[in-house]
Amino acid sequence: MDMIKERYEVGEKSKRLFEIDIAKDSLIDTISFLMSHTDFITLSMIACADWIEDEIFVLNYVFTTSNRDKNLMLKVSISRDGEVVPTVSISSPQAEVMERDLHEMYGIVFDGNDTLYDFALEGWEGMPPLRRDFDTLEYVNENFDFKGGRDDNKDVKAEVKRRKAEAKKLKALKTEANETEANEAKEAEEVKNNG
Amino acid sequence: MDNKLIKIYHGPQHPGITGNMSVELDLLGETIKRARTHVGYLHRGFEKLIERRTVIQAFTIVCRLCVPEPDPNEENFARAVEGLVGLEISDRAKYIRVMVQEMSRIAAQMLWMGGQSGSIGMGTVGQWSLYDRDLILDLFEELTGGRVYHMYTYPGGVRRDLPDGFLGRLSELLDYFDKKLPKYDSIFFDNATFKQRAMGVGVICKDEALQNGYVGQALRGCGIKRDVRRDNPYLVYDKLEFEIPTYDGCDVYSRAMVRRAEIKESIKILRQVIEQMPAEGLIMQKIPKHRKFKLPKDDIYVASESARGEFGYYMAGDGSEKIRRMQVKGPSLIHGYTLLENLLVDEELSNVALIMNSLGICPPEIER
Amino acid sequence: MNFNTIDIKGIVAPFSAIGKVFEHPKTVCYPDQTKVVSEGYRGFHTNVLADCIGCANCQEICMNDAIDMVSIDEDRNDRNKSGCIPRIDYGRCCWCNLCVDVCPPDSLKLGIECIQADADSNNFLYYPKDK
Repeated sequence: MDMIKERYEVGEKSKRLFEIDIAKDSLIDTISFLMSHTDFITLSMIACADWIEDEIFVLNYVFTTSNRDKNLMLKVSISRDGEVVPTVSISSPQAEVMERDLHEMYGIVFDGNDTLYDFALEGWEGMPPLRRDFDTLEYVNENFDFKGGRDDNKDVKAEVKRRKAEAKKLKALKTEANETEANEAKEAEEVKNNG
Repeated sequence: MDNKLIKIYHGPQHPGITGNMSVELDLLGETIKRARTHVGYLHRGFEKLIERRTVIQAFTIVCRLCVPEPDPNEENFARAVEGLVGLEISDRAKYIRVMVQEMSRIAAQMLWMGGQSGSIGMGTVGQWSLYDRDLILDLFEELTGGRVYHMYTYPGGVRRDLPDGFLGRLSELLDYFDKKLPKYDSIFFDNATFKQRAMGVGVICKDEALQNGYVGQALRGCGIKRDVRRDNPYLVYDKLEFEIPTYDGCDVYSRAMVRRAEIKESIKILRQVIEQMPAEGLIMQKIPKHRKFKLPKDDIYVASESARGEFGYYMAGDGSEKIRRMQVKGPSLIHGYTLLENLLVDEELSNVALIMNSLGICPPEIER
Repeated sequence: MNFNTIDIKGIVAPFSAIGKVFEHPKTVCYPDQTKVVSEGYRGFHTNVLADCIGCANCQEICMNDAIDMVSIDEDRNDRNKSGCIPRIDYGRCCWCNLCVDVCPPDSLKLGIECIQADADSNNFLYYPKDK
């Protein structure tokens, strides 16, 4: 750990989780340094997060020590429009399938990985589905039908308002009716008295 | 004989396949020359769905990532959220969570036993072990209301308190398992047929096991003592005493024996949990704005030990009530691709199901 | 095969499974006997209409959009300002219990009834039983 701290600026997230921000060009160098000089030898995961407001993908290469007691995240920021990343599958073969997954879900191209064909989706064309600008609801509306029979769903807030207005109206009507009734009775009485 | 290869698909509807996946095999006679894994029969887009939901809504989906053992997923999700917002849960909740983890571990090993024995044609063992798994599911039903998908471990604690007399019934079940395990030994683990079939099959190269990221029984079956519960302890595993069983054979039989020993260790842990569980304590921390609480702009990686190896979750929040990104790395991703494709080369066709089952490959968590 | 390497225990021991023949069967004879479902089981919803306030909290929390708020003809109680009660689409429900957790008057509950079978998928729209 001290060796890494000498060379890189290490962020400590918790007692057993660390992070380093690195540039894309130094990715391979950093990984070979980690694997040959330190205990972080296992690539556990490549996680990608899409920060669409900053126009970047952040790739997190999670490395684990051989004792499995500490984790280190290497953070590499790349632009969202098709920036090519070097593959790390030469030093850790398990990266091959992880990169294949990310290629399908985000459209990131990994240079040197020749297995970037279909993974879980079959013959998917168009925008890779895990990008933030892919609208799931729009896709569903285009490709699937919703089951019918549920059109009587009511918006509760509107319903409360409507019922309140109705009740008010009813009340007003009632008072009006009462008044007219009273007036009529009065008139009738007056007529009676006059008569 | 000419060297023409025959291509066949093993799966996705083959009974020996551990789920909805297929292995494309190039065969020379009975010998496999090349194997390629194919997934995609069960892609449900969970990672995308989670991005559209609030934390409380997303939590009901994570258990569906893996059918045989949903609880490590819930645990990971809860711990990732707790890590992001800095939430500390009570001791009682921690003990209950450990109990759920270990119960789910035994249930998963029982289900595995059914698959492993079925892959070599021993139907009886599967009948027995699935019945015993059902006994655990009965307890889960009582505790959580669901048999398979529990939706019980929640950020901040657990959702329900233990029913009256639950620990007593659990203790009785453990006694039953203690009596039952020697019977499994005699019909399965010591069975001459199983030994003949499993010894020397599916041998993992020990030198590359650590670096290539193999986890769980694949490592412990090579004699490498690694277990997230011990190495990177979470919940209260550092207060509990348990062994990490290892065997040196690197083959299917070693992995089976590791699993058998793990059932025993789980029973041991559960006994300690019953003894040590605090009688009082909040089972759920009060979370302000519980239905719409916000995750900070930060990210975290958590790992926990499932019955088949390390489950890793990456979670990133962006200051809103929705999760920006949650990525799952189950043990099957590496086992199902890198390891399986290597192991199957030069094996016989009849050993495919055997090897797959011993690695505990669960396709739903490969494609999420 | 060398006689010394024959695993006699491994060959003989599996026959102990025959002992199972004399044990009582573990299965339940279904229509005649039913399994007792535990108290906290998550089955079909029940809704106490005398308490339901029609607030649509359950509709809001449901991530599967399984809940519709539907008008009822007669008002069951005065506190129900909207005059609506939840109706659940069991084609979508995942029995996660969140709607029960957020119900302010605790009127919505999950019961123990759980058998759902119909030839037509449109028949899974279901009004929770009044309890």
